[in-house]
Amino acid sequence: LFDLIIKRVKTMEGLYRLPFNVVQCPNLKLKKPSWIRKPSNTMVLFGLLVSYFLVTAGVIYDIIVEPPSVGSTTDEYGHHKPVAFMAWRINGQYIMEGLAAAFMFTLGGLGFILLDQTNKPNMPRLNRVLMILCSFIFILVAYCATKIFIRIKMPSYLT
Amino acid sequence: MTTVNDNSSEYITNSSSSSSAGLKSLITVIILICVCISGFISRLFSIIRFESVIHEFDPWFNYRSTVYMTDNGFYNFLNWFDDLAWYPLGRIVGGTVFPGLMVTSGAIHWFFHMINIPIHIREICVFLAPIFSGLTALATYLLTKELWSKRAGLFAAAFIAIAPGYSSRSVAGSYDNEAIAIFALIFTYYLWIRSIKTGSIFWSSCTALSYFYMVSAWGGYVFIINLIPVHVGFLLLLGRYSLRLYVSYSIFYILGLILSMQIPFVGFQPVRTSEHMIAAGIFILLQAYTFFDYLYNKLRYVRNIETIFFNLSVIISIIVFAIVVLLTYTGYIAPWSGRFYSLWDTSYAAKHIPIIISVSEHQPTTWTSFFFDLHLLICLYPVGAWFCVKDLNDERVFILLYAVFASYFAGVMIRLMLTLTPCVCILAAIALSKTLDYYADAESSEMVSNFDDSVSICDETENDENNQDLDNNAENIDETDDDDQNFLTSNIKIIVVTCIAMMLLLFIVHCTWITATAYSSPSIVLVSYNSDGTRAIVDDYREAYYWLRQNTPEKARIMSWWDYGYQIAGMSNRTVLVDNNTWNNSHIALVGKAMASNETEAYKIMTMLDVDYILVIFGGVIGFSGDDINKFLWMVRIAEGEHPKDIKEKNYFNENKEYRVDKSGSPILFNCLMYKLCYYRFGELYTDSAQPSGFDRTRSVEIGHKNFDLEHVEEAYTSANWIVRIYRVKKLSNRFQAKDALEKSTSSLSEESFEKNHRKGVILNKPHVKKGTKKSIHRT
Repeated sequence: LFDLIIKRVKTMEGLYRLPFNVVQCPNLKLKKPSWIRKPSNTMVLFGLLVSYFLVTAGVIYDIIVEPPSVGSTTDEYGHHKPVAFMAWRINGQYIMEGLAAAFMFTLGGLGFILLDQTNKPNMPRLNRVLMILCSFIFILVAYCATKIFIRIKMPSYLT
Repeated sequence: MTTVNDNSSEYITNSSSSSSAGLKSLITVIILICVCISGFISRLFSIIRFESVIHEFDPWFNYRSTVYMTDNGFYNFLNWFDDLAWYPLGRIVGGTVFPGLMVTSGAIHWFFHMINIPIHIREICVFLAPIFSGLTALATYLLTKELWSKRAGLFAAAFIAIAPGYSSRSVAGSYDNEAIAIFALIFTYYLWIRSIKTGSIFWSSCTALSYFYMVSAWGGYVFIINLIPVHVGFLLLLGRYSLRLYVSYSIFYILGLILSMQIPFVGFQPVRTSEHMIAAGIFILLQAYTFFDYLYNKLRYVRNIETIFFNLSVIISIIVFAIVVLLTYTGYIAPWSGRFYSLWDTSYAAKHIPIIISVSEHQPTTWTSFFFDLHLLICLYPVGAWFCVKDLNDERVFILLYAVFASYFAGVMIRLMLTLTPCVCILAAIALSKTLDYYADAESSEMVSNFDDSVSICDETENDENNQDLDNNAENIDETDDDDQNFLTSNIKIIVVTCIAMMLLLFIVHCTWITATAYSSPSIVLVSYNSDGTRAIVDDYREAYYWLRQNTPEKARIMSWWDYGYQIAGMSNRTVLVDNNTWNNSHIALVGKAMASNETEAYKIMTMLDVDYILVIFGGVIGFSGDDINKFLWMVRIAEGEHPKDIKEKNYFNENKEYRVDKSGSPILFNCLMYKLCYYRFGELYTDSAQPSGFDRTRSVEIGHKNFDLEHVEEAYTSANWIVRIYRVKKLSNRFQAKDALEKSTSSLSEESFEKNHRKGVILNKPHVKKGTKKSIHRT
C-alpha cells in the first residue's frame, strides 16, 4: 500500500489530490448573501449618536430601578407640583432629567462635528457662516443648559 | 582640521531642519513632565487635609498583605493561610488574591531599602497610586500617538492625568488594584496596537508580558482577553486580514495564556471558563483563516475561490461555537461567573446573588455620574469616534470597539466608569486635536485642499479688489471672495481657539473641584464643617479599632457586618468572622441572621461561632448616614436568601410597608439584635435640644423602643460620637453541679460550721485520718 501511495504522489500537488481519488466534490452553488453590506458613514454616525444618547441618559438605570418620570412635591396650598430633578442625590435620577441631560450632551457633540464640517472645500460662504454660527449656538446652549441642570441638582456645585 | 570644518558646516546646515524637530521633542518632554506632576499633585488632597492614611475598606487588606510580604518574604506570602479572617474557616490568601499590587509595592520597598533610604511601607502604599497615574498618562500618550498623532497624544495624557473618573479610584491612600491595573491596561493596549502595526514577534511578546502584569494586578484582565479577540474577529469580518495580525495574535494568545496561568488565583481558569473561550475560539478561527489564505494564494486559478473560502470560514466558526456550547453544556467549561454574567443580564444579581447588588458601586449609572466624571469630554467623545470612523484603519477599529463596549459597561455599573475614562480621554483628544489642527493654524495658506492656487495668489496680492481686468474677472471674484473669507476665517479661528481654551480651563476647574470635594475622603476619618468654617474631625473608627487592639485578648473574635472586616483585621489585628472578600455567602447569611434575630436566637448563633465581641456602626448621634441601621435591610435580605423560614423581610416593615424606627415600626424590628445594639441607652440621650430624647438624627425620627436592657451581651465600648459601639458577649451563666453539692454548700454556710470551717488554714471536708487505718477514698 505504501508503494502505491509513493507511486501516485510524485509532488506535493499529488498529495493534495489524493483525497479526491476517494471522495467526489459536491456541486454546490454558494453565494454570499447580497444584503450583507458595510454600512455607510452617515448610518454609522447616526447609530453612534443614538446609542450614545441612550447610554448617557442612564437608560439602563431606568430599566433596572424604574424611577418615576418626574417627581412631585406638594407646596403649602396642597397643590402637587412636578419636580424635574432629583436634588442632592448623585446616584439617582428621574427619567426625564436623564433624557434632557443626554440631549444636551449630544447637542454639544453635534456642535463640534459641525465645527469640523465647516472646513470642507467648495462650500458657499453663506453655508459656511451658518454652519459656524449653528455650531457655536449648539455648544453654548449645551454648556449653559448642563451647568443649569447641575446647579439645580446639586446647589453646592463649584462653591 | 578640514574634516572638522566640514563636519561643523554640515552640522550647521542640518541644524535648521533638525532644530525644529529638537524643539518639538523638547516641548513634548516638558509637557509630559508637567502632566505627570499635575496628575500627582491633584491626588494629594486627603494627605494635606488629614494625614497619610490608607483609605476605605479594601486597601486595608492589601496593606496588611503587603506588610506580611515585606516581613516574611515572597514565598511565605504565596503560601500564607490567614487565620485572622473568616473564623472558623480561614482564608487561603496566596490562592485568592491578585499579587501584582503587593509585589509592586514590595519591589519599590526593597529597592529603596537597598539604596539605604528607609521609607516605611505605609508611605509607599499610600503614594503608589499617584505615581502610577503619571505612568498612565505616559502610556496614554503612547497609545494615542499610535492611533492618531503626537499632538492628540499630548491632549490625551493631559486629560487622563486629571479626569475625575480615573482619579476617583487612584487618590493618594486608595491602595487598591485599580491603581496599577489601569496603567497595565493602557500599556498592554499600546503594545498590542504597536504589534499589529509592525507584526513583529518582539512587540507581541512584550504585549504578552504586559498582559501577564495585568493578570497579576486585577480581575478586570478579562476585559483585555475579550476585547483583543473581538478586535481580531472584527478585522477579519471587515476584510482587513494581514500576516501581521496573524503573527501578533497567535504569539500574544499562546504566551499570554501560559503566563496568565502562572498566577495561583487564575490557575486553570483560562482553559476552563466561558470568559476566556472567546479568545480560544478566535485563535482557532484565525488559524483556519490563515490556512485558507495560504491556500488561496496557491490556488488562485480556481474559480469562485473567494466565496468557497468565505463560506468555509463561516462553517469553521459555527463548528467552533457549537463545540464550545457543547462543552459548556456538559460541564467541562464553567459558565459565566455571577459577577460577569450580571453585566449582560442585569436582573440576574437581584434575584440570585443579593450581595452583588448590595454594593453601592455596582448600581447602574445616572447621567450625573457621567457628567461629574467626564465634564467636557462627554461632548467630545462621539466626535472623536466619528473622526475615527471616517478614516478607518486597523488600530482605529480597536479604539471604536473599546468605546462601544466600555460605554455599555459603564452604563451598567458605576464602578466601570473607570474603564471608560481612558477611552473617552483618547477619543476626546483626537477630536480636539483634529479641530485645533485646522483652527489653531494661524498661517492659513494650506488650510483647505481645493483652494490651492487661488489661495496662493490671494496671499501675495491682497489688495486686488481694485483690479478690473476683464480676463481675470472670474478669478477676481474668486479672489475677493477668498479675501473676505480669509479675513473672516482668521477672525473666526481666533475666536474658536479662545473659546476652546476657555472650555478647557473650565474643565480643569471642574476636575480639581470634584477631586477635592467628592473623591478625596478617606472614609476612615470623617469631617464636618461648622458654620464659621472650622473643622470638626470625627475619628471614631480609628479610636474604636485601637481600643479593640489594646483592650481585648489576642485571640478574641469580633462579629460585625462584612464591610468592616478588613479594617478590623488591619487596624485591630483581631480575628473577624466575615470580611469584604465575601467569598462565602452562607457565612455572611449566618451573621446577618444573628443580627436580625432576637437576642436569644442570636446568642445561640454567637455561641456556635465562638464570638467574643460584636461591633456595630451607629450614626444617629451625628447624622452619619452610612451606618448599620441603614444597611440593615441588606442584612435581612441576604439572611433571607439562606434561611427563608426564619427571617422574612416583610416582618421588618410596619403596616404601611415602610422601614421605620419610630413608634410605628414593627415589633420584630424592635426586638432584633441590631436595633438593640445600636439604640442601647440611646433613649436617655438628647441629640438635639429642640427634640425629645432619643432623637435619631440620621433618620430624623424619635426612636420607638427605648429603655430596654440587654440580656446576653454587655456594653464594652462606645466611641466619642457613638459611631462605633462594641459589645461583649457574656459567657453562659453558671449552673449548679449536683443536689448534694448544693446541700453541702448550703450547710457550710450555716453558723456553726461556718465558724468551725472558716478558720484560717482549714481545708473544707478534709478526710480525717485515724492512725492505723487506711481511709479509702471513693472515686465517683
